[in-house]
Amino acid sequence: MNEELLRVEHISKYFAGVRALDDVSFNINRGEVRGLVGENGSGKSTMIKIIAGVYEPDKGDIYINGNHYKRLTPIISIREGIQVIYQDFSLFPNLTVAENIGINRVISKGGRVVNWKEVYESAKEGLSRVGADIPLDAITGELPTADRQIIAIARALLEDARLIIMDEPTTALTQLEIQHLFKTINDLKKRGISILFVSHKLNEVKEISDSILIFRDGKKVLDQEAEELDIKTMEYYMTGRQIDTSSIAYSEPEEAPPLLKVENLTLRPCFSNVSFELKSREVLGITGLLGSGRTELALSLFGELPAESGEIWLEGKKVFIKRVQDAMEQEIGYVPEDRIKEGLFLEQSISNNLVVTIIDWLASKMGIIRNQTKLKTAEEWVSKLEIKTPSVENPANSLSGGNQQRVVLAKWLAGNPKILILNGPTVGVDVGSKAAIHELIRNLAKQGMGIILISDDIPELMQTCNRILLMRDGRIVKEFRREETNEEELHRHLVAAKN
Amino acid sequence: MKKLLNSHEFVVFLILMIISIVIGFRNPLFFSASTLFDIVRGSIVYCIMGLGVLMVLISGNVDISFVAIAAMTSYSTHMLLLGLGYNGGIGLYLVVSIVFGLLAGLLMAFIVNQFDLPIFYVSLGYQTLWYGFNLFFIGRAMNFNLPEGLVGYYSRFLIKVKDPVAGETGLHVSVVYLLIIAIFVWWLLKYTTFGRGLYAMGGNREVAIRAGFNVKRITYLMLALSGALAAVAGVIQGAYSRSFNPVLFMGQDLDVIAAVVIGGAAITGGRGSVVGTILGVLLIQVLNRGLIFLGVSAEWQKMVVGLVLIIFISIPAIAEQRQGRLKYFPMGKEK
Amino acid sequence: MAEQKRGKFPGGFRFNIEDRVLLLSVVLIILVIFFGAIEDRFLTGSSIRSMAFQCPEIGLMGLGMAIAMMIDGINLSINDTANLSALIAGLSIVKLAPFFAGHEFLSIVIVFLVAIATGAACGALNGLLAGYIGAPPILATLATLTLYRGISVVITGGKTLTGFPKELSIIGHQVVMGIPIPFVIFLIVGILMYFVLEYTTFGFKVRMSGTNPTAAKFSGIDNRSIAMKVYILSGILGAIAGIIVMSRTNSVAYEYGTRTYILLTLLISVLGGTSPGFGNVVGVILATFILQVLSTGFHMLLLGVRGSSFFKDFSWGVLFIAILIIDHFMRREKSI
Repeated sequence: MNEELLRVEHISKYFAGVRALDDVSFNINRGEVRGLVGENGSGKSTMIKIIAGVYEPDKGDIYINGNHYKRLTPIISIREGIQVIYQDFSLFPNLTVAENIGINRVISKGGRVVNWKEVYESAKEGLSRVGADIPLDAITGELPTADRQIIAIARALLEDARLIIMDEPTTALTQLEIQHLFKTINDLKKRGISILFVSHKLNEVKEISDSILIFRDGKKVLDQEAEELDIKTMEYYMTGRQIDTSSIAYSEPEEAPPLLKVENLTLRPCFSNVSFELKSREVLGITGLLGSGRTELALSLFGELPAESGEIWLEGKKVFIKRVQDAMEQEIGYVPEDRIKEGLFLEQSISNNLVVTIIDWLASKMGIIRNQTKLKTAEEWVSKLEIKTPSVENPANSLSGGNQQRVVLAKWLAGNPKILILNGPTVGVDVGSKAAIHELIRNLAKQGMGIILISDDIPELMQTCNRILLMRDGRIVKEFRREETNEEELHRHLVAAKN
Repeated sequence: MKKLLNSHEFVVFLILMIISIVIGFRNPLFFSASTLFDIVRGSIVYCIMGLGVLMVLISGNVDISFVAIAAMTSYSTHMLLLGLGYNGGIGLYLVVSIVFGLLAGLLMAFIVNQFDLPIFYVSLGYQTLWYGFNLFFIGRAMNFNLPEGLVGYYSRFLIKVKDPVAGETGLHVSVVYLLIIAIFVWWLLKYTTFGRGLYAMGGNREVAIRAGFNVKRITYLMLALSGALAAVAGVIQGAYSRSFNPVLFMGQDLDVIAAVVIGGAAITGGRGSVVGTILGVLLIQVLNRGLIFLGVSAEWQKMVVGLVLIIFISIPAIAEQRQGRLKYFPMGKEK
Repeated sequence: MAEQKRGKFPGGFRFNIEDRVLLLSVVLIILVIFFGAIEDRFLTGSSIRSMAFQCPEIGLMGLGMAIAMMIDGINLSINDTANLSALIAGLSIVKLAPFFAGHEFLSIVIVFLVAIATGAACGALNGLLAGYIGAPPILATLATLTLYRGISVVITGGKTLTGFPKELSIIGHQVVMGIPIPFVIFLIVGILMYFVLEYTTFGFKVRMSGTNPTAAKFSGIDNRSIAMKVYILSGILGAIAGIIVMSRTNSVAYEYGTRTYILLTLLISVLGGTSPGFGNVVGVILATFILQVLSTGFHMLLLGVRGSSFFKDFSWGVLFIAILIIDHFMRREKSI
C-alpha cells in the first residue's frame, strides 16, 4: 500500500518577481488521503496548478508513477491519472451534464472526433460511480451547487484517476453534503485512489486526512500524520502565531427600543413571514443551510431583492426599501458573500475601493472630488483596519485574501452605517485575519452599531453573536441565546434543518 | 420535441414564417418561387461568412476583419488569375482564394496567440490593414473583366423558373456550396473536439485550458477556417455581381454579426448553431425584400429594419432581466 | 487565486494607462520627425493647420466611443448620431432662416443647441437599451445605428443637404489666434472630458461601474443611470463632431463616414488605452494625432503614386497591431 504515486522535489515558482513556492518537496502514496492546508497566498493553489500542468515550475522535479518530468501539461497530467476538482468545479455552464462529464475522456484520448454515444455512456457510468442520478441533458449552469460538485467528481472518477486533488471542496457545501463527500472520499481511498484534500478548514482536514502538509509563505512548514496533530498546532504552523479564543469580550445589547424591527417580511419562494428585532450594540446571527433563505433575506433588507410584503421599522419609523440606494439612505450597509464578484473592484486602487460608498461626501456640491480628503480618508481606513499595503494607490488585487476582506469591510464602515449586514464575512479568509475580523465585529457593536451576521460557521457565530436565529425553508424556526447554547447544540439543529 | 419548440432556432423560424405570411397576405406576389430563389441567392454569401462568424462568436470572441479578408482574397485572386490569363471557371478561383484566406486567418491567429491579444482588438487593425493593402497594392477600381469560365456563372441555376417581372431566374448553383459548407461546419461543431472546444472556450476559457483543450490550436483552426469561408463568400459574390471589388463588403461586418446573433449565437460566447445562423440571415433578407413587396419605399426600409432590430434585441434582454431575478432562487426549483 | 472575470466585451484585458500615454507620445514624435525629415512640406504652417482642421471630428467621436468602452459598452451608432444631429440641426436652420434674417449669428447657436439635443436623444435611446433594458451594447448600438441612418435617409430622401447660411461655415474654416476653430473645440471638449473623468464623482462612478458592475451595484452605484449618462454624453460628443463636419463641408449627407468612421473611432479608442473601467483622454487625443499624422504624411509622401491615399489605411492597420504587440511586451516586462 505504501507505493509512491507522486513525488515533487525542490519546486520553486515565481510570479512577477514574487516567490509563490520556495523549494517544496513532498510525496503522496497510493490510497493515501493527504491534507494540504495553508492560509491564502501560502502557495497551495500554485502547487495544485503545477501538478495539474497549468503552471510550469521555475525549478524542481516532478515524479509521477516513476516517470520524471521537469514540467507538465494539462494533458500529460491527466494521462498520468491526475484529476483536479477546482473550487469552482471547472465546469462549462453552457454545456450539458453528459458533455461536462464525458468530454475529458475524448480529449485525453487525443481524439479529434466526438462519439456522442460514448460520451453519454461514459457520463452515465461516471454518475453511477458516485451513485448519483442527475439528468444527462440538463444544462450544467442551471443546476444547484451540490449537483455541480457531483458532476465534477464523476468526471474525475471516469478518468480512472489515481490522484484526485480537491481544492477547497467544502466551501459551497452544507454540513450534510460534506458528510456525503467524506463518505465518497473514503470509498475512493479503499479503491486505492489517492486524494489531496486542500482546504483551510482545519477540522475537516484533520477528520478526513491520513497525513497533513502545511504551507506557509510558499514553504512547506510541516508534514506529519494527522493523528499526531491537533487543531491548535495546525493553526500555529499555518499562521506562525498562537490565537487565543478563550477570553472574548462580547458586546452587550442596549436595553432600549430596537434599532430595527422586521415584521412578516415575505418574498416567495425565498422566505415568508420573517419577523425579528435587532438592538443597538447587538450582533445578531442568522444561520441556516444554503437555500434556507438567509442570503435572500439579507438582500431584501439591503434593497437588492425587495420583499413583496411585510414591514421594516427603523428606530420606530416605518421605512420602505425598494432599491440599494434606499437602504443606504437609511444607513444600512451590506458586506456581500462573494468578495471577488460582489465586493471588490480588483483592478482599481485600494483607495478607490475604500471610498466608493462615500464618494459623494468627499466631493463638493458640484460633484468635484476633493482628492486630498479622499486620500486621507483612505489612508485612515488602511491604518484603522491594519490593511497591509505599501500604498493606497496599489490595485486591490495586489492584496491577500484577508486584507481584501478588510477593504470590503472598511468600504462599508467608512459610511458609518447604523446597521451592518455581514454575509459570510470570513469565507476563504485565513485564520489570523479571521480572528481580527471577529474582534472588529464585536468592537463595532460596542460602538453602537447593530450587526446582522449571516454565517454557517458555528464557531464564528459563537464567538461574535448575542443571539442566533436559525432559518429553514424560508422561515425562522428557532432562536438561541449565546449564553444558553453551545457549538454542539447549534450544529445539531443546523444539520437537522435539512428536512 | 418540447426541447425543439423551446429552442431559439424554432422561435426565429416561427417569426420568419409569420413575417412571410403577413407579407404574402398583403402582396401574394411574395409567394412565388422566384422570390424564394431570390432571397436564397441573396443570402448565400452572407450565410457562408456568417458560419465563420458563428465559430468565432461561439468561442467567445468577436472578429470584424472577415469582410476585409473576403475583399482581399477575392480581389487578389482575381487580379492574379487575370494576369496569368486564366480562362476557366470558378474552381481555381475558389482554390486560390481559400489558400489566401487560410493564410490570412493563420497570420491573425499567430498574432493573437503569440502576443496574447484579444481577437476583437487585433481584428480592428486587421480590417484596416487588408482593405488598405487591397487598395494600395492590388488595385483601386472594380474589375469587370471576367475570365470566360466565370462569365455565365451568375445565371447558372439548378432549377429554372420564369417570372413575369424578373424574367428567367432560379435556384442558383452556389446553394450547393452553402449546403456543403453548412453540413461541414455543423459536423465540426457537433462531432469534433475542435467544435466542442469552441463551445468550451466560450463557456469558460480558463476551464477549457484546464480540461486539456489546446486553445491556441483551436484559435488557429478557427481563424483559418473563418478566413477560408470569407474567401469563398468573396469569390461567389464576385461571380454573382460579375465584378471584383477591392472594397467588397466594406461596412457590412456588423450586419453579418447581427444576423448571426439574431440566429441565436451569444455575443458573449458559448452558444450558437448553424441552423440559427442561416435562419438569422434569411430573416434579415426576407425583411429587406418583404418591405419592397409591402410597398414600403426604399427610403423607409433602413429605418424599419432598425426598429425591428431594436425590438428583436429588446425582447430577449427583457426576458433575461426577469430571469435574472430568479437567479437568486437556485434552490427554488429543487422541491 | 481569484479567476479573472472576462468582461462581456471586449474581454478582461487591460492596458497600463501611463505606459500607454508614454508609448503613444514616443510613436507620435518618431512619426513627426520621420515625415518632417523626408518631406519638406510636412512641418509647414499650412500643413499643420490642415491637420488641425481635419482631426477634431474623428477625435471627438473617438472620445465618445472611449467613454462608452469605459463602462464595458460600445457605441457603434456614434457616426450616425453625428450625421443625424447635424442633419436635424441643418434642416432647422434652413427652415428657420427667414426668421433669423439679420441674426445669423444667433442661428449658429440654434444649430448647436438642436444638434446637441438630437445627439443627447440618440444617446438616451442607446442608454435605455443598453442600460435599462440590458441589451448587449454591441447589439443595441448596432440596431440604433441602423435606425438613425434610416431616419436620416427618410428625412433627406437620400440626398445631400446643402445651402446653409454663410455664418455656419465659420466654425469649419476660421482660426482663432492661428488655431483652427474645430481644433479649439476639440481641445476644450478634451479638457472638459479629462476633468469630468478624472475629478468628478460621475467619472469615478463610471470607472467603478466599468470595472465591476456587480460590486458597483452593491456599493450603491446605479449602473443603469450611469450607463444612461455615458451614452447621452457619447451622443453629444457625436453631435459636436457632426456640427464640425457640417460646417467644414458645408453640407450634410446621411452616409458621411459611414464606411470607415466607426472602425476609426474604435481604433482610436483602443489605441488610446481604453478598457472597461479605465481610460485616458490624453491617450485618445494622442491616438487621434497619430492617425492624422500618418494620413497626411503618407498622402504627401506618396503624392502621385497610384492609390496613395490608401497606403495610410494599410500603415494604420500595421501600426495599430504593432502598438498592441509592443504593449504586450511592456506588460510582460512589468509582470516579470
